[in-house]
Amino acid sequence: MDLYESRGRLQAIAEEMAVIEEEEEEEQADEDAFVMVRKKTSYQPTEPADAFCTDCGAVTHSALQASGEHSQHQVFVLPTATHYMKSELSKCNSLLSERTTQMENFASNLEEIFITVEENFGRQEQNLEQHYNDVLQTLSQRRHERITALQDEKKLKMEALYGELLSCGRALDASKELIEKAQDLNRWQEQRAFLQDIFCPIRIKDFAKEEENLKMPISLDFVIPSTDFSDVKQMMESINVVPVSVLRVKETHCVMQQLLPNVQYEFWVTATNTTGISPASERAVYMTVPSPPVIREQECTSCSDAALIRWDSGNTNPVESYTLELSENSLSKSSVTESIVAIPTCECVAQLQPWKCYVIYVRAVNIGGPSERSQPITISTTGTFFHLLRETAHPSLSVSADGFTMFYLDEDLPLSDIAFSDNTFASCVAVLGDLMPVRGQYYWEVEVDEQTEYRVGVAYEDTQRSSYLGANTTSWCMRHILTPSRHKYEFLHNGWSPDVRITVQPLRIGIFLDYEHGTISFYNTHLQQHLYTFTCCFHHFVLPCFALDKPGALSLRNGLAPPCYVTQTARPHH
Amino acid sequence: MALTQVSSSKCCGGYQKVFEHDSTELKCKMKFAIYLPPKAESAKCPVLYWLSGLTCTEQNFITKAGSQQAASEHGIIIVAPDTSPRGCSIEGEDESWDFGTGAGFYVDATQDPWKTNYRMYSYVTEELPRLINSNFPADPEKMSISGHSMGGHGALICALKNPGKYKAVSAFAPICNPIQCAWGQKAFSGYLGPEKSTWEAYDSTVLAASYSGPELDILIDQGRDDQFLSASQLLPDNLIAACSEKKIPVVFRLQQGYDHSYYFIFSFINDHIKHHAKYLNA
Repeated sequence: MDLYESRGRLQAIAEEMAVIEEEEEEEQADEDAFVMVRKKTSYQPTEPADAFCTDCGAVTHSALQASGEHSQHQVFVLPTATHYMKSELSKCNSLLSERTTQMENFASNLEEIFITVEENFGRQEQNLEQHYNDVLQTLSQRRHERITALQDEKKLKMEALYGELLSCGRALDASKELIEKAQDLNRWQEQRAFLQDIFCPIRIKDFAKEEENLKMPISLDFVIPSTDFSDVKQMMESINVVPVSVLRVKETHCVMQQLLPNVQYEFWVTATNTTGISPASERAVYMTVPSPPVIREQECTSCSDAALIRWDSGNTNPVESYTLELSENSLSKSSVTESIVAIPTCECVAQLQPWKCYVIYVRAVNIGGPSERSQPITISTTGTFFHLLRETAHPSLSVSADGFTMFYLDEDLPLSDIAFSDNTFASCVAVLGDLMPVRGQYYWEVEVDEQTEYRVGVAYEDTQRSSYLGANTTSWCMRHILTPSRHKYEFLHNGWSPDVRITVQPLRIGIFLDYEHGTISFYNTHLQQHLYTFTCCFHHFVLPCFALDKPGALSLRNGLAPPCYVTQTARPHH
Repeated sequence: MALTQVSSSKCCGGYQKVFEHDSTELKCKMKFAIYLPPKAESAKCPVLYWLSGLTCTEQNFITKAGSQQAASEHGIIIVAPDTSPRGCSIEGEDESWDFGTGAGFYVDATQDPWKTNYRMYSYVTEELPRLINSNFPADPEKMSISGHSMGGHGALICALKNPGKYKAVSAFAPICNPIQCAWGQKAFSGYLGPEKSTWEAYDSTVLAASYSGPELDILIDQGRDDQFLSASQLLPDNLIAACSEKKIPVVFRLQQGYDHSYYFIFSFINDHIKHHAKYLNA
């Protein structure tokens, strides 16, 4: 049954149910006329009706079952019939709800198609617009060329004509003069003088004999330069396809070169003989593989058993996925030892073995296949390695080119240079580091001068940028303050520090973060001396944080394995 | 030397025992407590010597400090001797709680009637280690020392007077500058006589100022609400100043709310054992 049939049947059943219920309750003669009609047409027994025919949908009498109109029908006694009809009802119900779900799915599919159609339309529209723009531009250019040519020609012709006109004029004047002279001479009475001067007339005669060269110097017609419209014609023809390149070959195969990466191409072939060009063959569709991605070295971080690699897609159009290939850089040949496929975004965490050197490549993948390998990045799993997140740095904190030393310079920055954003520290001259989002153990060291007043520790990524490190519940740090009389050390969290005196000033501080034990520990690495340990509960990942309270410098030392005096006491052995 | 086991109880997988012996330095019977961690059953373990404070015996530390758990985990033997010779019948030894019985001050007395028996310095630094090393699975190269109050003073002077002997040292509320406080002055004049120059040999602040030897790494915990701190008996600032001057590494923690009692020791004993373990298990 389809949806409408189900509904109809359901309605029928509902009506029949109503009928049965009425019959079961009491005799109400002025109720449903439909029922009355039925009753009238059937045999009227003396006892009340106690059966129901599911085929006719009519209330009847069990006694009548054997004979009469219901003899071949399925007739039940009223209670049974009620049950039967009720089960039919629930069957229809479930069927209807199934149909409803299907309809909903169908509706959402339609929605998606809507969006796709919209997108396709957009693309086609853009393509057409571009094409027609090109065509129009070309045509306009041709027109301009032709008009200019015509104008030039006109100019030439006019100049020539003008020249002729001038010389004609001069010839006319000369002729007129001679005619006058001749007439004058003709009127002379004296024969002597006449003959004497006849040379002149003879000259005139000679002159008159000369035929004027009255040829037209120029043609009246303009030469129409043949404009090459073949390219326009081609453009118009190809208006429905992405710009096409045409290769003429004699063989039955052809190598297409210089295709663009990550683009879908359609190829078709036509055959040409003396009569003309054949219709085009079927189209073959081919997708070129993408360009290789570009690994962002400055945004990769690692620790002793994992690395986080980030990269740029390397393609303007989206690709399907990425593949990360890693191989151990041991001895000479490094073959791929592991691949991580179907990476949906431009970053990936790879599990690694400690104390090894890895070479990592990334490829972009589309339906055409994988791209070439990207430029590799080398990761050494000797220890924690990370860069500073420069975008979090307070404007007065500048970072060296190699990214591992930070300075708070004793200068007033011009207002134009003070560019705060939501992500930069605004009061504390601080910066965050980019640690891996993996709950393991991390170790790094910080080098300072005797005078450096600093804060070093860890903070949640969303620690308040307007607050000072250690002054809130989202950061933990060791702080050094230089007073005129002594060095003061604080271990700050939520604005509170224990009272700790340290007799030998640490100039190289080891910081050990242990998610498992929830601790962040500080050491004087020169003495292997433990200074202090915070015990916390890290709800989220924390990032290393660094700040300078007064002008000075601080260097980060990275890629170090935690010394044994740090890890040994973290895990007592039995 | 004959050792008699006085008691033994299993604790944290190891054994907390008390032994008695005849001491040659102190010329009397002395008891000491020793905790043997599980590791001691199969291998030699380093030894941490704990020196208790005024009025204590070998019992206070093992019953109140809660050190056995950390000792067990780090595989360290902890030896806790008594705080003075006992039963020597010296006149006046029981007159005060801060001099005589239970107040040996970890010195070798030079004055009568104390000089025969009150040689706690030699007992702790010489006799006891020999005894332990020959009777228990102790690593003779791995010793460290710690203590509370008078015992803190004892631990510090033993370490400062014996460069290289102790791999680690720590203290709880130590008497840092005895020649400047009432306790020290009373004890030293009694045990060492009126000549103050003889006292300096047992004063950590003085010893620190002239220390030369392998680098130390001293951990000191001090309760801020310690009545004896406010009574100027402990004087940690003097020691810190001397160590800062001499570049002796110290981490001194003033613990808010804590007093002089064993509750204070219990609260931070794990940190101290961890500190010792770093050097003993290296």
